[in-house]
Amino acid sequence: MPRPNLYYEERTPSPLERVWLEFRRNPLAMGGLYILIGIVFISIFGPWLTPYGPNQQIADAISLPPAWSENGDIRFLLGTDELGRDMVTRIIYGARYTFAYPFLVVLASASIGMLLGGVAAMTAGVKSSTLKHLLDVIMSIPSLLLALIIIAITGPGLENALLAIGLVLIPQFLHVTRNAIYDEQRKPYVTASKLNGVNDFYLLTMVFFPNIVKVLVVQLTIGLSIAILDIAALGFLRLGAQSPTPEWGSMLAQSLEVAYISPWVMALPGIALFLVLVSVNLVGDTLRIAIQKQLER
Amino acid sequence: MPRYIARQLALLLITLLLLTIFAFCLSYWFPGDPVTNSAGIFLDDPRYQDIAKARGFESNVFVQYWHYLQHLFRGDWGVSLLDADPVFEQLQLRFGATLEIAILAMLIAFVPGLSLGVIAALNFRKAADNIILGLSLSGYSIPVFWFAQIAILVVSVHWGALPIAGQINPLYAIQPITGSILIDIALSQPEQAGAAFRSALRHITLPVLVLAIMPTVLLTRLMRNSMLDVLDKNYIISGYAKGLSTPRVIWQHAIPNAMQNVVRELGSLLSLLITNTMIIEVIFSWPGLGNWLIRSIYERDFPVIQGGLLLIAALILSVHVLLNLFHAWRYPQVRKDLYAAA
Repeated sequence: MPRPNLYYEERTPSPLERVWLEFRRNPLAMGGLYILIGIVFISIFGPWLTPYGPNQQIADAISLPPAWSENGDIRFLLGTDELGRDMVTRIIYGARYTFAYPFLVVLASASIGMLLGGVAAMTAGVKSSTLKHLLDVIMSIPSLLLALIIIAITGPGLENALLAIGLVLIPQFLHVTRNAIYDEQRKPYVTASKLNGVNDFYLLTMVFFPNIVKVLVVQLTIGLSIAILDIAALGFLRLGAQSPTPEWGSMLAQSLEVAYISPWVMALPGIALFLVLVSVNLVGDTLRIAIQKQLER
Repeated sequence: MPRYIARQLALLLITLLLLTIFAFCLSYWFPGDPVTNSAGIFLDDPRYQDIAKARGFESNVFVQYWHYLQHLFRGDWGVSLLDADPVFEQLQLRFGATLEIAILAMLIAFVPGLSLGVIAALNFRKAADNIILGLSLSGYSIPVFWFAQIAILVVSVHWGALPIAGQINPLYAIQPITGSILIDIALSQPEQAGAAFRSALRHITLPVLVLAIMPTVLLTRLMRNSMLDVLDKNYIISGYAKGLSTPRVIWQHAIPNAMQNVVRELGSLLSLLITNTMIIEVIFSWPGLGNWLIRSIYERDFPVIQGGLLLIAALILSVHVLLNLFHAWRYPQVRKDLYAAA
């Protein structure tokens, strides 16, 4: 491509800036990002935004359709369920259970998994293929099934479901971290640091970590999407969050009985879940594309 | 190749052995009495002493594990705590029902999934690519349990086009032999075989179609990415350079090579498919493995949980190994990498 100005200066944007540019180029990805920011906001400030309590029953408003339909009431924008609970309130409260808790769980298991993965990659003894095969086996079993095994031992409940998903995600982060460090280990900059005589801890945190953090962030979004879907699925199967909790999956499970009379009770939590999952996946995909482009440069 | 097969099979054997040890440990980890948990016989049952003796619960855990293995291979997996059904016979029947919808969904997913992926890759960053990518992203993000309900509400309740749930109209008395309803009808040959077959087909359509969405969109993504990789390769350019027509390059050079990556990822796709099958079974009251397993976790029916988990995990692990073997057999260059790594 011919360059118009003679004295041009090529400014290379920083890695973070490049990720941002990649987002700006794709309007859908921006939409996903905005939705995620909105969900984070709702899950932090939800209780101050809602006029009713999540389990508050309003006796004169049972099974009201959304406000824009003929029988709707403007007090309840998205209608009420069969017990007279406001749908908007329940969905806003549900963001905590369906998005924030899985997010925290993923963060926790990511830090444990990364630590273990780093240790596994650094120690020579564990380099044998035993760990690799064991990880392969555990990762070949679907996450929901592993979570079911753990819940079968501990019994149903939201805490147990969160614990189960957290435990299930650790091997995945361990695997990714270990592989990422393996790929970097032969690169000249690592050799240079080793020749400088840095200790293992410095090598792990200051040399490897900044270079593999991109891979880990992508894995974080994948883990988040798995965790959200699995927590909701467990809630739906009545093995996760139990009945009055406004978790979206268990709201879906309860709505089965009234799906024909008041379909909005079933549709709304599903749409919310779908939007969150699409945004998480979109953001993850865009991050992956941006990182791939950086690697190709 | 024989070395690779031997290695994979040995690994599978060891993994399955570990799995049985895990399943055996489950009867201790579950709350309650280990004999009850593994055999399904309550403490106040008159047979309790005999069963405990037969399972070796008088001596140490190693003897117990040995007896557990013997019972396992004899097909004596205990009885359900809820309705005293023998677990092994029930699992056999339900296994067939689960495999039926899972395999059908996988088969249905292949043609549209792969062709959409190829179309998207050939139109890289054009309208068709964007539409297919958008569809696959939303198909991938849609929670299957919600979509199944919407499908039931619209197709079955609103239009009345297909039955809501179940395997077949209960008026047809089909003797369960394999558990798979379509095969059972063919085997047992009831009086109204044609009508029964049509009824079974109508029942199976909706669950299989809903189940097929996830593998379809994942195959699309996999195929697209893999095609994009392959289309950049030198042999594609040389194919064009020597004057081959575009269809010939695509069909004979690009697609067969792109399939290699897809085959490698099939294992994880199948794992996801099994998970979704379990959820779909619950929603459509399909008398399959997942449905029974989830109900038993809810009802704390430990012998069933133990057997069901063992069976599903063993199935997934075996399928993985078989796919690995197929991959190595079909694509020799993979084998070379494996030997170099070993």
